[in-house]
Amino acid sequence: MVNGFVPTSLEEALKIRAANDVIPYAGGTDLMIGERREGAYLFLNRVPELKIVKREGDVLRLGAGCTFSELIEHPETPALLKEALQRIAAPAIRNEATIGGNIANGSAKADSALIFFVADAKLKLASTAGERVIPIKAFYLGRKKLDLRPNELITEILLPTKWLTPYYYQKVGARKALAISRLSFAGLMHIENGVIEHCATAFGAVSAVVLRRDDIDAMLVGKTVEQAKQIRGEYLAAYRQAIDPIKGRVSSEYRKMVCMNLLEDFLEANGI
Amino acid sequence: MKQISKSVIKKDHGVKARGSAVYVGDFAQQDMLHGKLVRSPYAHAKILGIKIPELPEGYFTVGYRDVPGINEVHIVKDDTPVFAETVVEYIGDPVLMVVGPDEQETERLAGEIVVEYEELPAILDVRDADTVFFDYSFGSGDVDKAFAEADKIYEEEFETGYQEQAYLETQGMIADFNDGKLTIHGSMQCPYYVHGALVKAMGLTPDRVRVLQDVTGGGFGGKEAYPSILACQTAVAAAKAGGKPVRVVFGRREDMEFTSKRHPSLCRYKFAVKDGKVSAMDADAIFNAGGYTTLSAVVLQRGLISAPGVYSIENLRIHGTAVKTNTVPNGAYRGFGAPQTFFATEMMMDHIAKDLGEEPLDFKKRHLAKQGDATSTGGKYHFPVPIPAMIDEVEKMSDFAQKRKEYAKPQPGRFKKGIGIGLWFHGAGFTGNGERDIIKAVARLHKYADGRVEILVSQSDIGQGIKTTLSKIVANELNLPLEKVICNNPDTDRVPDSGPTVASRSLMTVGELLRRASIRLRSEWKEGEEQTVEEHFKEPDFVIPFDIEKFEGDAYPTYAWAVCAVEVQVDSLTGTNEILGAWASFDVGTPMDMNIVVGQMEGGLLQGLGYASMEQMAANAKGRIRNNSFSDYLIPTAMDVPVMQVHMHVEEYPDGPYGAKGAGELPLVGAPCAYMSAMEQALGKKIYHIPFSAEDALLRADEKEDI
Amino acid sequence: MRQGIVFQLNGEETVYEGSATDRLLDVLREEYRLTGVKCGCKEGECGSCSVLIDDKLVNSCMVAMGRVQGSSVVTIEGFSKTERFKVLDAAYASVSAVQCGYCIPGMILASNCILSKNPTPTEADIREGISGNLCRCTGYNAIVKAIQIAAKEGEGLW
Repeated sequence: MVNGFVPTSLEEALKIRAANDVIPYAGGTDLMIGERREGAYLFLNRVPELKIVKREGDVLRLGAGCTFSELIEHPETPALLKEALQRIAAPAIRNEATIGGNIANGSAKADSALIFFVADAKLKLASTAGERVIPIKAFYLGRKKLDLRPNELITEILLPTKWLTPYYYQKVGARKALAISRLSFAGLMHIENGVIEHCATAFGAVSAVVLRRDDIDAMLVGKTVEQAKQIRGEYLAAYRQAIDPIKGRVSSEYRKMVCMNLLEDFLEANGI
Repeated sequence: MKQISKSVIKKDHGVKARGSAVYVGDFAQQDMLHGKLVRSPYAHAKILGIKIPELPEGYFTVGYRDVPGINEVHIVKDDTPVFAETVVEYIGDPVLMVVGPDEQETERLAGEIVVEYEELPAILDVRDADTVFFDYSFGSGDVDKAFAEADKIYEEEFETGYQEQAYLETQGMIADFNDGKLTIHGSMQCPYYVHGALVKAMGLTPDRVRVLQDVTGGGFGGKEAYPSILACQTAVAAAKAGGKPVRVVFGRREDMEFTSKRHPSLCRYKFAVKDGKVSAMDADAIFNAGGYTTLSAVVLQRGLISAPGVYSIENLRIHGTAVKTNTVPNGAYRGFGAPQTFFATEMMMDHIAKDLGEEPLDFKKRHLAKQGDATSTGGKYHFPVPIPAMIDEVEKMSDFAQKRKEYAKPQPGRFKKGIGIGLWFHGAGFTGNGERDIIKAVARLHKYADGRVEILVSQSDIGQGIKTTLSKIVANELNLPLEKVICNNPDTDRVPDSGPTVASRSLMTVGELLRRASIRLRSEWKEGEEQTVEEHFKEPDFVIPFDIEKFEGDAYPTYAWAVCAVEVQVDSLTGTNEILGAWASFDVGTPMDMNIVVGQMEGGLLQGLGYASMEQMAANAKGRIRNNSFSDYLIPTAMDVPVMQVHMHVEEYPDGPYGAKGAGELPLVGAPCAYMSAMEQALGKKIYHIPFSAEDALLRADEKEDI
Repeated sequence: MRQGIVFQLNGEETVYEGSATDRLLDVLREEYRLTGVKCGCKEGECGSCSVLIDDKLVNSCMVAMGRVQGSSVVTIEGFSKTERFKVLDAAYASVSAVQCGYCIPGMILASNCILSKNPTPTEADIREGISGNLCRCTGYNAIVKAIQIAAKEGEGLW
């Protein structure tokens, strides 16, 4: 094959990646926009290890090569992830685009990445030098800057599923399909016997990287709903400070206003 | 339903459904050369010099020096150059074309061309404009007296933005110069416009220029004048190509950034109200023409003529200018100036009504024009104005009155609903005396010996189904099966000039010529013989001739009418809104084919709704269009479509074929008015501009201004 | 050992000897002269270039040739020879859903995929199924109606 490799195992893929100057091609839906890139493409669509969907206790192992459509149709896929994936682009894109590619694109607008952030997912990265697992938060170093070492491929997303339901999710786009997020928000709260056992929020498309402030969310964890109501103002103020949206096709003022509206609505929905 | 209105299978359905219809980009390569335009990166600059690198064998460039005729593209005024000569007037103004056998190499070389510019100050905002391309005024009655005697005076300013036609097939042309004859084919609405432009630019006699329309993937006005420019540029290249054909097909980004769009507008209105009625209207409209005049004169004319809307207002002072800015020249887009002024007028009426404590619809009803009333230019509404009946139809379809009352109550939840209504018209046919004095349409029928009849007109089917509807007329009069009527894409070597495919004139005007020609052919029919009959346009007797200098008389022989209600739901947390329903009644006279006409109504309505909301296009600080892709310029998808219900209200127009009148543009024109009226109810705030975004809804809703 | 990219094109085994980085859309149109596959944007935003890859709807402008190795690619030209197409063709014709025609090859393939997924789709299913196919002419209503008609008339085909 001219300018391309189509490995049929992860081992083969990693060997090729290490030995050649190749560009990994997962779904192609980001890579193929714009000018052709110089060099050979490493096609990952025939690597079975990248297609796994396997539950191990509370953690769902998702192959980085799973397409959005495959996950939407998979019975194991948590409802929150399914909803976020269903809102992405349109069917033809979803049939090819992969969660690994969505993450590797490095954008804070990535709809699947938002869910992985709020769930505190981990990424498995592999190369011929070995394997490592890091929190997704640590993977993003800045806008389109990733902690991806030479010759590494994202192989799996390890998704903790314990707290993924009930959930609050809102994507704000300019139309109902084929809409890039102007802003997105995911919120998870679990209240057991009046005590907040878990609280996690994440904001997409507002800063260079998906905004996940588990330190602020921690303010509410362990509190009763009544106690949480007392510190509601503090919690919101902390986020008001933390959210400093970049200006894009919409103003930062708008982004911030919507973020705070959704955050407040999330609290209210949980009785806070 | 009249027999003629019964839907048939469209003549071009089959080839398009199978994917075998040949658009300009589909022609086989063979020895085809590719052309790539080199464009100005500056909004306003002097061209000091051009450095062309050594080009590989088979590659060459063309510029203004290669234009064999006159370096002007004939549109209305001919100030658009084929290639810029000494000055560039907008970012994207073409300076050169690089031509060669490999498309990618041609593009690469285009990037290597060095043009030396001296930047000049650029005017990007109409408010800073210092060159007025066109200035028109007209009026009636005594406006000053009415203002002096008014109970209250209202002054408001409205702004409308760009709209990009976003036809799915981008612009493209193929030119071929062989044996002294130039043959050009491509995506276009007006083959004879292209023909005239080529004759001038190439310095050829008319018989040495042949223009053919290829299957065209949408136009909406964007392919009315622009193809003339591209055709001249491509022809110049073909003249230097040693007999090889040259093709230029734009990519989406190039098309979005640099081809003509809807004129952004700024309307300053002043209304006088006495005894609860509008007694005078003083309107000033500024249309952003862009860097060259192109079609701005005519767009401005229609916009101004339409300014008083569907209302009879005794005292009028209408003034408008089309001003130059160093931005992409704006041109024709479905509605052609009317959407801009109708938006301002309908919103103004809404605002006044609310201030007077009256329901906008009730207030508007008291001002409606009636048959026999004078039009804005002192012409006459010669035919019924069915707006009252159409309001009833739409009220029923949409449950308007009930919802209007319901949504007027406080809505404490997250979602706020609103419903609004818009009333509008579209002048059917070419503005003023243009049809009679400039176009002078000629339509021809040719009967073959075997009894098949061919329609010979210059109308272009751009999706609106004109091939089918014109064929139905001829088939009906000659009692022939539809398959025996031939209607090919126009070829200037074979068809007379029956005028452009614009202004909602093709079916009404050319269709009527063909109907008359068919009647004549029928009466002169000779079995087994070849025959040709021809019909020439004759202005109907009732038309009060239009004086373009004074803006007096019948600007249009008749009008198509529309009433539309739109219901919205706004999310107060995000400002986004959902259209819950759009219900409309349209009067375009007798539908020539129900499915085709309803398809036009639905398509146009959706374009109007997009124009008011998601279709945002702006230039950056340097004057370059920023939204240059489908991911950034958003048009409605199938999921954005509300419940859409369309009703055809038929008022037959006696001078149109079987009672038909102009239809194509009508549905778009006033859709934004209904939509924004609904948004005003949902938000409880006044709206002064479109497109109106989610950000506008959220930030504006936050402002302390209640209505 | 076969060089080149081996795939099924409209039912026929085909070997593409060009670069694996070549765009499927360009290869289909230029190499194989399948010009029913249209180019509307080259960015995956309009669906004019839709094809079926292994029976799934895909924007061919977003696909590099190496990806189709071992897969089946069907364009409108291939699909138009099927019974399913006959039903869709008749349905589209009956409501005059084809205006300028540029979105139509993609729409028809998308229609097929909607019905493949669910032979009795709701209107919402249909609108979602064609949500990636932009149409500027019709306002979509006629296309939705056509697919509903095809669902009825094409019983057993999907």
